[in-house]
Amino acid sequence: MDIFLSAIFAGTSRGAIYALAALGLVLVWRGAGVVNFAQMGQAMFTTYIASTLIAQNYSYWIAFVIALISGGALGALVDLLVMRPLSRKRSSSVLDSPAMRSTVPVIASLGILGVLQAGAGIIWAAEERGFPTPVNSLGLVINGKIMPFTAFDLFVMGTVFITLIATTYFFKGTGMGLAMRASALNPEVARLSGIRIGFVRTLSWVISGVASSLAGLLVTPSANLSPNTLDLILIIGFTAAVVGGLDSLLGSVIGGFALGLLVSFVNVYDAPEDIFLAILIVLLTVLIIRPQGILGSKEVRRV
Amino acid sequence: MLEIKDLVTEYGSVKALNGISLSAHEGKITTVIGANGAGKSTLLRTISALEYPRSGTITWKNHSIVGLSPEKIVRLGIAHVPEGHAVISQLSVEENIQMGALFRMRSNKADVRLAISEMYTLFPRLEERKKQLAGSLSGGERQMLAISRALVSRPSLLLLDEPSLGLAPLVVEQIIQTVNDLCRNTGLTVLLVEQNANTALGVADHGILLSLGTVAADLPAAQMKADVALRAAYLGY
Repeated sequence: MDIFLSAIFAGTSRGAIYALAALGLVLVWRGAGVVNFAQMGQAMFTTYIASTLIAQNYSYWIAFVIALISGGALGALVDLLVMRPLSRKRSSSVLDSPAMRSTVPVIASLGILGVLQAGAGIIWAAEERGFPTPVNSLGLVINGKIMPFTAFDLFVMGTVFITLIATTYFFKGTGMGLAMRASALNPEVARLSGIRIGFVRTLSWVISGVASSLAGLLVTPSANLSPNTLDLILIIGFTAAVVGGLDSLLGSVIGGFALGLLVSFVNVYDAPEDIFLAILIVLLTVLIIRPQGILGSKEVRRV
Repeated sequence: MLEIKDLVTEYGSVKALNGISLSAHEGKITTVIGANGAGKSTLLRTISALEYPRSGTITWKNHSIVGLSPEKIVRLGIAHVPEGHAVISQLSVEENIQMGALFRMRSNKADVRLAISEMYTLFPRLEERKKQLAGSLSGGERQMLAISRALVSRPSLLLLDEPSLGLAPLVVEQIIQTVNDLCRNTGLTVLLVEQNANTALGVADHGILLSLGTVAADLPAAQMKADVALRAAYLGY
């Protein structure tokens, strides 16, 4: 029973992080129409920034906030330096076909991932290093009993919960959120309504950058930090987003938690080597039975 | 007010507009009629910068607006209701209307609220359905919503593209009449593109007949309506 409970808690805490990663992917997919493979590269880079600050004796919280800010800035840079110039290049006949127009940014994001990983290797050397947690990551003791979860688990779940509430409020309750939804659904009508879709697009890269950076900061303590550590999260986050329905924020969150639990159970009751196999099975099953995902809408699907 | 000279717009090598000159006068309804493919929609799309002209000038209140972005042109007071009841079906009716005023929400919140309530007075059916998704509306209601979305930006010029498309005659009548009232009561300038020449010329002050990207006739609406030979030659009746 104790093993079962701790698998549940570990899975929920893990799932919260996957949900964040998936959320970051969905934001850019909806806001800019790009599947961003560089996402966790961006997160890795900002985690390195935090790690460097902590190594120089800055407090965890200062490093945490600066990493989130640089996550947003990096998102903006990716859009302004790479994605926006690409979408403007209309004269080239190669980029003119609709298929190429949606593929080129994806390839570009893979390029950015390569640059970030190589860059991090050059700047910080490729050796692994640890990354701290802000609170204790041993089993919490209440009334002399060791609980099946840690203080860090609670911190992760709390942080992710707040982020989800804030994102939902932003989209449903503010004018800028409405502008973002409108631009994603119908750019032409949005522009005719006076919405600056270029700005809105950059903003979705910024928000996604912050969410991904947060996912990186929360997940790295359980592994070591190296230029490639977060590749696994990208794969799981991407699967979570697809399972949830790629264009649905809530779906991506549900997908994230589901995969967190799956990974945790495979880890506890089977073996860590089978995690990828389990993820692949889930991904294929969803794609075969319900290709639009749990909450995705059918028409948006263009895979 | 709006002054267009020698406008040329191309799709690839096809000239959709081939040297068009016309003007829309303040507080008047100018209607642009013509057969399919005459360039009517392209004309409106070029004015609101959804298409970029090859050559020619578009002057609005004595300033050239060629090269500005669509979102900038709305801010200058030109609102475009594109063809096909363009609303965002996955958003609610309320959100569709709000969307049209987002850009001035911060600078003039009180007036935005007023403008939205005016839309509900103009089209009471939209208020009854304000929480519904726009996708669940009928064709006529969608057109009312698309027009409301444009009007809450408080434009001085309304570009209206085929509001009658696919709608029942009675609904068309109601929508055209509403636009007519707006023009007469508030001084709104309207550039109305229509395939339904009779309806359009019935309310318009001025008629412009397009044929294959050029202006074939530019006459007072009543005169154009009465010109049997012209209609026979270009509209087939």
